[in-house]
Amino acid sequence: MIRKSRRRGTWLAATVLAAGSLIATALPAHAETGVSSSEIKLGITLPLTGAASPGYNKIGNAMNAYFKYVNENGGVYGRKITLIQKNDEYSPQLSIAKTNELILKDKVFALVGPLGTANFTAVHKSVGLAKRGVPSLFLNTGFSGFAKKANYPASFMILPSYAMEAKIIAQFLKENHAGKKLGIVYQNDEFGIDGMGAFKAAGTKFDVTVPYTSGSQSAATAQTWVSQLAAGGAQVVVFFGVTSATAPLLAVAAGAKYAPQWILGSVGSDPLTLRALGVPVAVLNGAQTPAGNPSPNDTSDEYVKQFQEINTKYNTGTAFDDYVLQGMNIGLMTVQALRAAGPNPTRKGLTSAIETKGSTFASVAYSPLGYSKTSNVGHTGYYMAVMDANGDRKPFGGTVKLYTTDSGSGPVVLSTFKRPAMPAKGLPSNS
Amino acid sequence: MKNFKFKRSLTLIAVSSLLSITVVSIPTAAQAAPACTTANYVTTCLGATTDSAPYMLITPANFNGTVYLYSHGYRPNIPVPAGIPGYGGYTVTNTPEPAPGGNPQVIGALLAKGYAVMGSGFARQGWNVNSAANTNVELIGIYKKQYPKTTKVIAWGNSLGGFQSQYLAEKYPELISSAGVLCTVSNAPVVSDKAADALWLIKTFFDPTIKAGNYSAGTAGYAEAMGDLVKVFTVIGHFQAAIAADPIAPAWPATSKVPDALKAIPSRSALILSALLVGVPLQSAHFDGTSAPAGLPAANALSFQLAINPALAALENIANAAALATFQIYDLELQTGGTWYDNTKTDWAARVADERFIWASALSGESATNALLGYLAAVPKAEGNPVARAKVAGLGTHTGITKVPTVLYTGVADPLGTASEQQSIIDKYDAYLAQQWPANKNAAVRKRPVNNQLALWGIPAAKYTKFTAAGSPDTTVAAAPGTNHCNFTVAQYVAVAELLAYAANNGKNMSGGPLLTKLRKAGNMTYDRDYAAPRNKN
Repeated sequence: MIRKSRRRGTWLAATVLAAGSLIATALPAHAETGVSSSEIKLGITLPLTGAASPGYNKIGNAMNAYFKYVNENGGVYGRKITLIQKNDEYSPQLSIAKTNELILKDKVFALVGPLGTANFTAVHKSVGLAKRGVPSLFLNTGFSGFAKKANYPASFMILPSYAMEAKIIAQFLKENHAGKKLGIVYQNDEFGIDGMGAFKAAGTKFDVTVPYTSGSQSAATAQTWVSQLAAGGAQVVVFFGVTSATAPLLAVAAGAKYAPQWILGSVGSDPLTLRALGVPVAVLNGAQTPAGNPSPNDTSDEYVKQFQEINTKYNTGTAFDDYVLQGMNIGLMTVQALRAAGPNPTRKGLTSAIETKGSTFASVAYSPLGYSKTSNVGHTGYYMAVMDANGDRKPFGGTVKLYTTDSGSGPVVLSTFKRPAMPAKGLPSNS
Repeated sequence: MKNFKFKRSLTLIAVSSLLSITVVSIPTAAQAAPACTTANYVTTCLGATTDSAPYMLITPANFNGTVYLYSHGYRPNIPVPAGIPGYGGYTVTNTPEPAPGGNPQVIGALLAKGYAVMGSGFARQGWNVNSAANTNVELIGIYKKQYPKTTKVIAWGNSLGGFQSQYLAEKYPELISSAGVLCTVSNAPVVSDKAADALWLIKTFFDPTIKAGNYSAGTAGYAEAMGDLVKVFTVIGHFQAAIAADPIAPAWPATSKVPDALKAIPSRSALILSALLVGVPLQSAHFDGTSAPAGLPAANALSFQLAINPALAALENIANAAALATFQIYDLELQTGGTWYDNTKTDWAARVADERFIWASALSGESATNALLGYLAAVPKAEGNPVARAKVAGLGTHTGITKVPTVLYTGVADPLGTASEQQSIIDKYDAYLAQQWPANKNAAVRKRPVNNQLALWGIPAAKYTKFTAAGSPDTTVAAAPGTNHCNFTVAQYVAVAELLAYAANNGKNMSGGPLLTKLRKAGNMTYDRDYAAPRNKN
């Protein structure tokens, strides 16, 4: 009996194996959600319309332009990249619905560059990205909470965190504005709180503190901010909010002849967008700002030059600014990640590839990338810049002095890091 | 289900199946045999179980041997005086309900296929898990005696009736072949606390004269409970008017006794926080939590999207939880003999650790959120009687362990948070399966446990708020799919019934293409194994 049973088991095993072979033969060359033999589907949610959209609404098209360029040059291991953009109007509720569409209906392979801290928090929680194993690459938010690998195992930051930014500004204030009355206007949510915690840890004491609620920004609310800053005598004002709030703040301040030294946080300081929102270039002149990337006007930079060429050809009619630069750079990083995942990419493989190889990816930003098996931290530093009479951004003091730090209690250090060169013709060949 | 309207057109849903629609001559005492009449090839039998629960059996001439046992949802066990919004004029009824709401289309669809339907009105209303289970078990026996050809019994029910159906699947798998658990509640302490939390928060923020429990004995206690109901609707009515007058900074109710410093925060933010603390969704029958009227300046539109629309959703939803709480607190105090609600150990801030970031705009920012939570931490807590509280736990809790196929279905924006309740049953079942496989192996049973739970979700559309030409929210349109309590269509009910029949006949749930096709045809029924609803907060 025993022998007979064993023989039957062998037969069964052989039958199963044979069936398995048939199935394997019948399957396409590769089977992973969002990946076919000819295409890789990616998705992004971001505000394409509404009050929060200025600037942000360029990021998706910029990514798409870069992907078109890559597609016309052979794609990624022969596959073309398709990017599906969904307009979430900056509403977390809508981000959830649109991300569900991307994952369940459009069946994207991964999310790329999802925008907004509240939005991604909502999406990650409600859509169950971790449970589904959907990678989220290169988030367009600097909330340091997303660097918690245990909570966000397949999500990767790209921007330095808001805490890092605040620590570097705090150092700059100490070195350049000691003894002056300090004011701050900040978005009163996790974005601003991330920064405020770091300012406090760095020992920065603001004489005037003006929180504002996200979504409340307008000329009317800006009047109250400016009144508080002026009444408090703030000589140096740090702004830690979004561009749609920077614009009314600067415009109202200019109208009131209130002209402190502005230090505009990286999120809300794109000169081109501010000018499009009605801020006179003269008001921007002299404003200081932390910057991670070169100026989008710096054609001596190999990344900027290449991206500008791509923008001219594949994103016709779109002015090249910080948002376009950021979108293209996310595209560049994404292509490297997909290549690193190999010819037959899986979601797990993509995550693993960024963990093991992501820190060596080429990126326009000057600072190192922090990816590893235990870290999903993106870029880790800023240099301080100043805006000129043309609305352009130049390194403060004439040369880039890059500071790097972490989101915790680590020091702010002057870095000698040299970023990797732009891949030839802007086309990654890594594996 | 019946919808009730109150002033300014905001629609308030009633507690599930508040009123039955079938009017028949119902025996009130137990009968040895039911009284039956036959018309148009359908036999209707009326009777009462030994606990005096009236029942109804409806059997077609071509009976195929399968009968659906329906359990109705929560009906308050006290009458509501006329004039009280939403519930005024309600009288306690135990009219039998053989199908959801007694819906003739659902009944007709099942009878046409040779299925029979039955249901009782239960012997007591209010929270009635234990007595209703006894009634259901007896009713199954009565039916089988009346129709010996019966081969299969399918249990299904809405809301508290969903609890009953799951309970039968857990405790009496030998009596039923499959169970449909719709817009269910899952646990007496959890659902009761959830509702009571809502009432306590409305009391604490907006009207401290609301008693919210510890009701007096006798008619005085009844009057206090009804008084609370009136006050809840007064607060809700205030918010409707205040938000309409000034959506950005609606006034606090005059009855509120929070410090003036707190009143500098828009009152709508306290409302939103209350909803988040309870687990009430910020999508409701008419408010999708994200739309703004056309034509607003961009900045105002963003404010409306991020803050005003969610506040209106909270308002529309939280009234249901608070009203249910009034009935539930009163009923359970009668059943347990004491004040059972206790929030002395509640960590309110921990409940919104993530949501406070997601809804930062609606909450008016971090500083406002901290101030509101600080107030809750500072005020006196509700302290319950431990003996009474322990008794609530004995009033019914699911194990999640079922031996027959089950089909679960709810809207993810159900105002009573039934998505979290459904999720709790899923989690318990998953935990059971996870430990069952090692247990099987230890017992030399080389068989993986089969997942026989089919969880379905009704997901609202991304946008569905309608606005009038003048830009006001239009609350006269039908509640959006996936919102409201047990807001299902006939097609969805019939689809669930067919899934249950398949499960009963095959010993397992439908899957693959046939399942997806059936769900697609019914509309707004999503099967997604990776979807997880928010967990209960308490």
